[in-house]
Amino acid sequence: MNNHWMRRQRRLGYVFIGPSMLGVLLFFLIPAAYSLGLVFTDYKFMNPKVGFVGFDNIIRMLHDKLFYLSLKNTVLFLVAVPVSIALGFVVAVILNQRIYLKKLLRALYFMPYITSGVAVAFVWMLLFQPKQGPINGFLRGIGIDHPPGWLSTTTTSMFAIDIIWVWFLMGYNMIIYLAALQEVSPELLEAAKIDGARPGQLLRKIIWPLVSPTTFLLLVTGMIMTIKTFGIIQATTQGGPGNSTTILSLYVYQNAFRYYDMGYAATISWALFIIILIITAIQWIGQKRWVHY
Amino acid sequence: MELKKRLVTGTPGRLLVTLIMLALAIVMIMPFIWMISTSLKTPTEVFKYPIEWIPAHPTWEHHLKVWSGPKSFGTYYLNSLKIAFIGMIGATFLSAFAAYGFARIEFKGRNALFMLYLSMMMIPPQVLFVPKFIMFEWAGIYNTHWSLILPGMFTIFGVFMLRQFFLSIPHEISESAFIDGAGHFRIFFRLILPLAKPALATLAIIDFSWQWNDYENALVFLIDERLYTIPLGLQNFILENTVDYNGMMAAASAGIIPMIIVFAIGQRYIIQGLTNSAVKG
Amino acid sequence: MRKKGWLAGFVTLALIAGVMSGCSGGGSKGEAGGADAKAASSSGTVKLKMWGGVPPEAGPQEVMDAWNKDHPDVQVEYVRYVNDDEGNLKLDTAIMTGQDVDLFVNYSASQATKRVTSGAAADLSSFTDYNIDEKMGPEAEGWKIDGKYYGVPTTKSSFFVALNKDALDAANLPVPKDWTWEEMMEYAKKLKKGDGYGFIQNTEPYVDPIDSVLAKEGYTKADGTSNLDHPLVRKWLESLNRMMKDDQTTPPLGEQLTSKMPVEQMFLSGEVPMLNIGAWLLRSSNNFTDYPRDFKIAFAPVPRLEEDAANYVTRGGLGDYISINAKSKHQKEAWEFLKWYADGGMAPMAAGGRLPASKDSDQDAALKSMLGDKGDTYDQESLMYVMFDNKTPTFVRTVPQEVMDLRSQEYEKYFLGAQDLNTTVSEMVKRHNEYLKSNPQK
Repeated sequence: MNNHWMRRQRRLGYVFIGPSMLGVLLFFLIPAAYSLGLVFTDYKFMNPKVGFVGFDNIIRMLHDKLFYLSLKNTVLFLVAVPVSIALGFVVAVILNQRIYLKKLLRALYFMPYITSGVAVAFVWMLLFQPKQGPINGFLRGIGIDHPPGWLSTTTTSMFAIDIIWVWFLMGYNMIIYLAALQEVSPELLEAAKIDGARPGQLLRKIIWPLVSPTTFLLLVTGMIMTIKTFGIIQATTQGGPGNSTTILSLYVYQNAFRYYDMGYAATISWALFIIILIITAIQWIGQKRWVHY
Repeated sequence: MELKKRLVTGTPGRLLVTLIMLALAIVMIMPFIWMISTSLKTPTEVFKYPIEWIPAHPTWEHHLKVWSGPKSFGTYYLNSLKIAFIGMIGATFLSAFAAYGFARIEFKGRNALFMLYLSMMMIPPQVLFVPKFIMFEWAGIYNTHWSLILPGMFTIFGVFMLRQFFLSIPHEISESAFIDGAGHFRIFFRLILPLAKPALATLAIIDFSWQWNDYENALVFLIDERLYTIPLGLQNFILENTVDYNGMMAAASAGIIPMIIVFAIGQRYIIQGLTNSAVKG
Repeated sequence: MRKKGWLAGFVTLALIAGVMSGCSGGGSKGEAGGADAKAASSSGTVKLKMWGGVPPEAGPQEVMDAWNKDHPDVQVEYVRYVNDDEGNLKLDTAIMTGQDVDLFVNYSASQATKRVTSGAAADLSSFTDYNIDEKMGPEAEGWKIDGKYYGVPTTKSSFFVALNKDALDAANLPVPKDWTWEEMMEYAKKLKKGDGYGFIQNTEPYVDPIDSVLAKEGYTKADGTSNLDHPLVRKWLESLNRMMKDDQTTPPLGEQLTSKMPVEQMFLSGEVPMLNIGAWLLRSSNNFTDYPRDFKIAFAPVPRLEEDAANYVTRGGLGDYISINAKSKHQKEAWEFLKWYADGGMAPMAAGGRLPASKDSDQDAALKSMLGDKGDTYDQESLMYVMFDNKTPTFVRTVPQEVMDLRSQEYEKYFLGAQDLNTTVSEMVKRHNEYLKSNPQK
């Protein structure tokens, strides 16, 4: 085992990431660079005239009330991520126990993730229907005379979207946790049990820290995914009523594909990028405190 | 198996937990039930309150419509299968490869490169469409399935996810193999990949469902109707100012079957885990 | 050895890829078909592609079949795009990247303008054998872009309030031929039964009452600033709000939108007696299997906010503006097809509520085919009136999407009680002015 060999082995790192790097370069980096260029133009899709406008788009964005409103809504949307992670963890732990019908239950909890988005949106709209929907029917049944309007009022709509999103993401979090739980060594748990650890302690002191790399993964990717998504909103409220559920990604989408205002859409999306970058950086730095590899 | 961790013990406890989980599961699959039941309803029944979960007069007419006639779903089905399957295999394999590099080889610039990776994941996909279609047209893959398959093979999420899993595999395992003279390739194929089956299966399932449901890329990059995928086919049910929800749900329920199969196969591997691999013993 | 393992992986992958693409014949055949088409075109047969938003089974397929049978040398294929943001994006991408798009239908003036500006639509004035003004009548004028035709408006588009004649008769209310917004509100109150509504609106023509005002008075004032604070805009907001809150004769907008209220179904099932909609209603109202109905439908023009009937313009005129792609290699053939289509080839479209606009087409036959065997279930006199005899001047909606959206976002907030009338109007004006500033040409 000589040093030369070791060095060569180390250089294999580039070979391993090479193919994937090529794809990232072609399908992400180059298009991204192009879109960065768009920030400084007034490029409108279909319109052959493209002019250089300097920082106009950025200035416009900084004065755009809708931009700030969408930013606020995005933050409200993000609340769903930690909630769905916590629930996903609990469900994964339970489904990893010796209970009956495990296979069936796992499949059922994963269903939201693979059901058609139109069906999902539709059912939730029916469930949330303020006058005749079953949710408010239930609330009235237990004595709440003025149940919320859910998707149909500006104050509650974002909250209703959060509920749908938690419901949707939970199965996905669960399945990744399940995979992670398979790596938790049974001996460790048994040993702890012999030492007299109660189930609650077992969960908190042993399982939770052991799956912390997965939690970190889910938190980072869940945030990113949530910030980028808008399909569920497009299918239910289209950003309304008013603009109470317009989140940044939807605003980008509208500017790009509804108004064909590519320059401005690129500008907002780069702002979005910077926001995600900051959030991820904070999580990355913070991980040292609680993620155990 | 005796050593399997147990928080729930005793038959009554197991039964109780099973029942609670089953009750909650019904909430999870409500849209799914609605989808099936709507596919069997008549248009006027779609919006009825209270919601009719079981149609009063079930009809198979919508399912027949989906599979017959000039716009049969058969072609869309095959197209979707092809794209999602190749994409899934490619993505899982390439991600595992890169993740191994990032997690278990210390090379120069590794962290910086990884950060670059992550940052690419944050770019909203909408702005990449225009440059991408300019590129695809230039490369001659616009309006072919390759415009979906090729980009589909590269998932940054997959690299990130597998990296996290590879990181948590104890270093001693590869260390000892290394001392025996095994190089990274052998360690990757012989040790790490078998160990990572749960993670690989998870990624495969998730990636398949992404590719299967991808609507926007397909919309922008496919023009020829013979190349359409299922999500595009569902658009046929959007009429001029209304939507044929019954037909759409009939098609969507058929579209969910491959995903259930992939999930059923995949979940076997997810649960196998370390108990089978004897490495830790 | 190690290298080989790596290679083996890729080879396997490539093999799988090859096998998969081999077995799904649809894809590869599709590409081969394209090549065939090009080969064939050089040997005499011209293949045209026409993009439209109407589902093929609602008429277009029949139109294409009829043409293709008589013209073996010019075969037309219909490609359907969904007329929403994404569908239009798809069409525009196809045009921009030079895919085979020979003809395309524009459904709004702003879409058409966008395509004309980008050079996608051919200037039709080079074809001198068809006088669009003469054929289609004075209403075609609205579709001129910079004084020229870049497409042929082919249909008479009518918007109206559909009425449950039986309910009107029971309440002793006549079918109006000209009515004001207040009269409509009274009708709604009288026709309302219990918890039900008296008047519902399809979301497409929802804002037409204010567009009618602004089309006449101008979207901007003389000084170039927004005219969205016109008194009649206020009146529309206030009165509709009263209908939602006080009279409860029309559904609150928030509820209508987030529950995707099926307005056509609610009307056709007899639940709500008045529906503000357009000619496409006929397609559902003729479909007794899916929408069983036991009453007669009568038709009234859209009520006016304007006091003075002489000042009123109503949405309508012509629609389905068909353009020829400026880059098409077969413009001449496309033009021949287009003329044939406009002068009567489009007849099968009538069943979906699309009546031909050309004076050379057989409008009576089209009307018959529109009603099919359900003629008795309509009050034909009032139908004729809203479709043909009503001589109220018409307008075509030309508002840019951005302005449509900013308006609806603000009025939604108002109807939900999230902001008051004054704020709503001033926000609309402010945002409109901002828009005008950054898009000075309009």
